[in-house]
Amino acid sequence: MTALVVAGLSAREMSRRWTALLLLISLPLWFYLVRRDLTGQSIRMLALGIGWAVSTLTLFVVNASRGVDPRLRLSGASVTSIIGGRLIAMTGAGAMLALGYWALAGFDQDLPHPWAAGLMMLVTAVVAAPFGSLVGALLPRELEGALALLSVCAVQMLADPAGLVAKFMPFWSTREIGTYAVDGGSTDMVWRGLAHAAVVWLFCAGLTLAVFARRLRVARYPEP
Amino acid sequence: MSDWPARFEEELVRLGLQPARARRLSAETAEQAGEHGTDPDRLFGPAHLYARHLVTELRAPALVSERHVSGPVMLRLAGVGKRYRRRTVFSGVDLTVRGGEVAAIVGANGCGKSTLLRVCAGLIRPDAGTVHRTRRVGFVPQDGGTASWLTADEHFTLFGAAAGMVPRKARSTGTHLAARLAWRPAPGQPVQQLSGGTRQKLNLVLGELHGPDLLLLDEPYQGFDQGSYLDFWQQVRAWREAGRAVVVVTHLLHELQNVDHVLDLGAAGGNR
Repeated sequence: MTALVVAGLSAREMSRRWTALLLLISLPLWFYLVRRDLTGQSIRMLALGIGWAVSTLTLFVVNASRGVDPRLRLSGASVTSIIGGRLIAMTGAGAMLALGYWALAGFDQDLPHPWAAGLMMLVTAVVAAPFGSLVGALLPRELEGALALLSVCAVQMLADPAGLVAKFMPFWSTREIGTYAVDGGSTDMVWRGLAHAAVVWLFCAGLTLAVFARRLRVARYPEP
Repeated sequence: MSDWPARFEEELVRLGLQPARARRLSAETAEQAGEHGTDPDRLFGPAHLYARHLVTELRAPALVSERHVSGPVMLRLAGVGKRYRRRTVFSGVDLTVRGGEVAAIVGANGCGKSTLLRVCAGLIRPDAGTVHRTRRVGFVPQDGGTASWLTADEHFTLFGAAAGMVPRKARSTGTHLAARLAWRPAPGQPVQQLSGGTRQKLNLVLGELHGPDLLLLDEPYQGFDQGSYLDFWQQVRAWREAGRAVVVVTHLLHELQNVDHVLDLGAAGGNR
């Protein structure tokens, strides 16, 4: 119940920051348009743009709630409902963004496996929400958090997908599923991508919860 | 049929009235609403708040003649201390506040007043001493503590949900409490568009929304105009008379005549 209220109000709060929202929604579009002539490049860049946009938006929402969260805890809310509610809202927003760009890519490009392209974008959005939460939990200021996200996304874009560095990045699953969606090949790539995404999601969500459980703990004093 | 009279009666009993008297008052209140051709909820507001208001009114004459009738202990600090690295913020703090009492924490800037209040809330752990505190506590920070892009109504819903209240009840309770501070939240207006004083009124309402037994207020009147300031102290007296305990951080020494205990944390960075 509390988690759903937190989710609904987080979504509403986010929808009112419409200038930031418009800029972030349009961000993947620029990534896509720059290499629109190359299907593979444009689709992968689009997905990474979705990841960057959703994680940055989550970072803003997490940072904007720093003053409210301790008071919600004192009023009786659990850490899980606060963090979980926010994650639900941001995942929902990310999924909608992914759906919109999937439709665009489907109309504009000739994709061998359109469903895999949709899956790639959805998985990217789903991973981006807890990743943005984790960065927000570890870096308390928006500027530092945004720079950290920029660094991670830049490394993810530039690193060799077959190399070790890329595999330790949060959006390696995007590259893996994207390769199948654009170039075809074995469905093993999809499964490897999904497994990587699941591990990253669990790691980011778990660590976010652990950080906030510590930060938002309320001392249980005995009654007088 | 609304269950307002039953909830009203239950709250009266919980607040210490004899069951027979509570039943009679509940019936009279329902009759009164009937005479106006409306629901008690519409006429009197939320049942639990009207019950508290009524109990306050009933007890007020007795309290005037017998000011020092206090309730159970709501907060007890014994030898509490806090350090940040090598710097001692405060040490050896003792304070006991009972229901129906107001305590003021005073001292110079940087002496740890807000830190002590956060220790009382449980948001910061003390490094020394013991704290005993009632479970239901409301905390009002000096600033912040709200979400800039949400409206007052949405804050009531959010904080109400945290306390297990359904959205409708949380909103009606919030609106009712706001009215007692002479404030009527405008629908659709986000908090960032409110003045500093109105934002503090929202902070106060949020601290009281779940009906805490102990209120911890950190200079909550910042930005208030004269009228709101007087309303605030009137509200503190109403809380006291309703049997709640209030701890308020203040630097306005002329208000200390209105409180039961004064805890002076002294100069900045110094020990008590």
